[in-house]
Amino acid sequence: MLRRLLICLGLGAMVLASAHASDVLSIPPIAFKQRTLGNGLQVIGIEDHTSPTVAVQVWYHVGSKDDPAGRSGFAHLFEHLMFKSTKRLKAEQFDRLTEDVGGHNNASTNDDFTNYFEAVPSNHLQRLLWAEAERMANLNVIDENFKSERAVVEEELRQRVLASPYGRLFNAVPKDAYLVHPYKRPGIGSIEELEAASLEDVIAFHSTFYRPDYATLIVSGDFDPAQLDRWVDAYFGPLPKPATPIPHVTAVEPAWDKDRRYSEHGSNVPLPAVVLAWLSPPARDADDVALSVAAALLSNGDSSRLHQALVYRQQIAQRVNFSSDGQADNGLITSFAILASGHKPEEAEQAILAEVKTLATTPIAAAELDKIKTKIVTQALAGRETAEGKAFAVGSAVLLKGDAGTVNSDLVALQAVTADDVQRVLKKYVLDAHRVTIDYTQQADKSGDAPAKGAAK
Amino acid sequence: MIGLSIPLARKMLAVVLLLAGTGTTTLAADSSNDALPEPGPARKVTIPVAQDKTLPNGLRIVVANRAVTPLVSVALFLRSGAEVDPPKLAGLSDLTAGLLDKGTAKRSAPQIAEAADALGGSLGGGAGFDNSQVSITVTTPKLGAALDLLADVVRHATFAQEEIDRERKQMLDNLRLALSQPGSVARFVAARAVYGDGAYGHSAGGTPASLPRIRRADIVKLHEAYFRPDNAVLVFAGDIDLDHAAQAAKQSFGDWKAPAAPLPQAPAGQGKSSLASTTLAIDIPGTGQAAVSAVHRGIAREAKDYYAGVVADAVLGGSYSARLNEEIRIKRGLSYGAGSSLETRRQAGSFGGSAQTKNSSAVEVVGLLLGEFDQLGTTPPPADELSARKATLSGNFGFTLETTRGLLGEVAGLAVYGLPLDELAHYLDKVQAVSAEQVRDFARANLGKDGRSIIVAGDAQQFAAALGKAYPAMERLSAAALDLDSPTLKPTSKK
Repeated sequence: MLRRLLICLGLGAMVLASAHASDVLSIPPIAFKQRTLGNGLQVIGIEDHTSPTVAVQVWYHVGSKDDPAGRSGFAHLFEHLMFKSTKRLKAEQFDRLTEDVGGHNNASTNDDFTNYFEAVPSNHLQRLLWAEAERMANLNVIDENFKSERAVVEEELRQRVLASPYGRLFNAVPKDAYLVHPYKRPGIGSIEELEAASLEDVIAFHSTFYRPDYATLIVSGDFDPAQLDRWVDAYFGPLPKPATPIPHVTAVEPAWDKDRRYSEHGSNVPLPAVVLAWLSPPARDADDVALSVAAALLSNGDSSRLHQALVYRQQIAQRVNFSSDGQADNGLITSFAILASGHKPEEAEQAILAEVKTLATTPIAAAELDKIKTKIVTQALAGRETAEGKAFAVGSAVLLKGDAGTVNSDLVALQAVTADDVQRVLKKYVLDAHRVTIDYTQQADKSGDAPAKGAAK
Repeated sequence: MIGLSIPLARKMLAVVLLLAGTGTTTLAADSSNDALPEPGPARKVTIPVAQDKTLPNGLRIVVANRAVTPLVSVALFLRSGAEVDPPKLAGLSDLTAGLLDKGTAKRSAPQIAEAADALGGSLGGGAGFDNSQVSITVTTPKLGAALDLLADVVRHATFAQEEIDRERKQMLDNLRLALSQPGSVARFVAARAVYGDGAYGHSAGGTPASLPRIRRADIVKLHEAYFRPDNAVLVFAGDIDLDHAAQAAKQSFGDWKAPAAPLPQAPAGQGKSSLASTTLAIDIPGTGQAAVSAVHRGIAREAKDYYAGVVADAVLGGSYSARLNEEIRIKRGLSYGAGSSLETRRQAGSFGGSAQTKNSSAVEVVGLLLGEFDQLGTTPPPADELSARKATLSGNFGFTLETTRGLLGEVAGLAVYGLPLDELAHYLDKVQAVSAEQVRDFARANLGKDGRSIIVAGDAQQFAAALGKAYPAMERLSAAALDLDSPTLKPTSKK
């Protein structure tokens, strides 16, 4: 779980036009300009004057995979604390600078990165740049705010994991699937490890990872490029590049050498579920695009193969999904099904495997490939309607693929994906690879483990 | 949504709005790095204009043009929805709308799915209160074909028994999922508490008992009675203008005829509630959090004080910085998010607040909700807070109009209720015109103690005793035993 950052970005790879000239729909590429400041800060501007608003995003290249030992959930907890006080900003002042003037803000923590994003009326851009530079340099959290926000994160954990029927399953997927890579630790953490975190940990984390040479600033929307450069130079330019080295995750998940099976349980599981997982190549691998097409053929839309087979024809699943999560390191290809009542996880497992095998080994009609490309391109367009949507698309390309240009080139690459490509990647990463299977059912004792853990405070 | 790709976010993604706090910041005149710079002069927001035209058969066409992206969203709305479900057939409207794309005279269900996906969109049909709809978003060149498909499913759905059985089974499974989650359980209960035996009190998605009772003849009858051009609005938003929309609509819907029989009268939405003024503990054993809510009767969409309600909701709990989240989350760390909800339907509405919290904090959170209700009904909000909340509302409105689906939703919200389309252009002014006293008065009238229902759904063994002590009229029910067809939520004595 907690894999990709944003659903709208998930299909970072898009097509420019379908194969037939009559259907061609041209999508203008996202026009962006990038530069790097002397202190290492990467700056990307996407000018768009459609609306008098501007999106400001800072993507730090630190994520849950960098959680300190014994502190799972820390990167995410830290994200919350970035909205507390700094040397010159009061706690929650980001809300004053955004919500109070007709904007919005949020932040999210992914395995590979943490992003902070705002959108405001464009006359507030300068203030936001000042404030983002301020919290990059001068975070100053006090103990009282730290403790109350930690309690919030614990409630977030309860809400996502303990009070949601499939929350425990999503939490268990990386834990069960990965052998060595730190992706295996749940990004939301555990109550125990969150409780163990201290204010000293916060200070150390900020000075280690929150620095200009480990961040990408994206500004998208209604701004004047020359003025943007001046403001960025004025507020971010003076921030020092620390001399200390940045710790990087070096663990490499080995290819799995056997199939593994796990059983997980929840206290309120009205319908059983099953997850099948395989290792995916890193997002920057050329196969990522073909895998995204394969996944879409399997589960994007009501006419997709898994939906038609499991939900419509066989009626064994209440819903089914197949996705390939391109990440900085090896991510997961997962298929997830909630069973229809009266059916068992093995039924969905066998049906999913049968459909994947059919897709990988029998001819794929050109019309089906065209269909899915049209579908993906339309979804891409919808995701890029706003300046903020464009910024997310570019940010995701930078953080996951290491290259902002892939936001456009992936569209071209996707256009060129053939049936053979789809079958080749499915064989390589799924049929010929080992898999992890997780069955998820109601635990026998209905009293649950939640109260013992969750309500102790 | 259930999926593997849920981001960890600072704020719940469902809560989109914003505002509270002092709104004061230290401003400095120069661009020194030591001080927060001043904002520049504001640029004006351009609000799209919505236009309409009615075809001779009575079908109203509404178009909001925003030609920024080559995308068009189109939806066929009926001005009736789940409120017309017959008393023992909860879910009939939703089931009927959900079956539209499951087979027509020309196309099977898989063929319809195939066609919609090939156009780049997906057809989704469903019924809420006061409306039923089916919609699709496609790139501009595909609009004609998409409209043909839309017209086919709306007008020529066949409702095959096999499809009814399949759809019903899926709805029953959806209900099982909903009934296992504290938040949705609390919402089922809140609807009965506010609307009682009125049409708005029942479950639009049906109940475990009602869905098996629905027969094909019920679906066909409902479709014949309500799916007619004089009960429909065809709404377009995005890269399309009125002339092109009207022309395309004429082709696909021009020969759609209204039946001679008049449109049936809608049943009363607001009924008598035996659960008003009660406190209910709903037990979901083992669940890791409690959903806490407190609800009251509110106002209808056409009420004179609608905008006072919108602003009161924004101050109370319409956003991250609003009072409920400020008190419950930001100050005390008791929840991932607390908010308010102003529901305004054609005939009636509700107003209240809710939060999820660990089971052992549920009673404290109830007290905080009620405290904020009372405060807002007693003292007008300070000027800086009020202007900040209004800015949030206005900003969100602008951002919503930046996407075709958002624009479609705003315009449809006016069209379905027969409100003037230029309301879109007046929204910002109407929000600005609400005074602090009007906010207080609205809160006093709609958040008072009379008729208030308090609902806590969670692992009741951890909070029921304390809740009963604080609110002595408490009743404890088991989620598994709730009878959603009964206005009292308890099985009626005779079968």
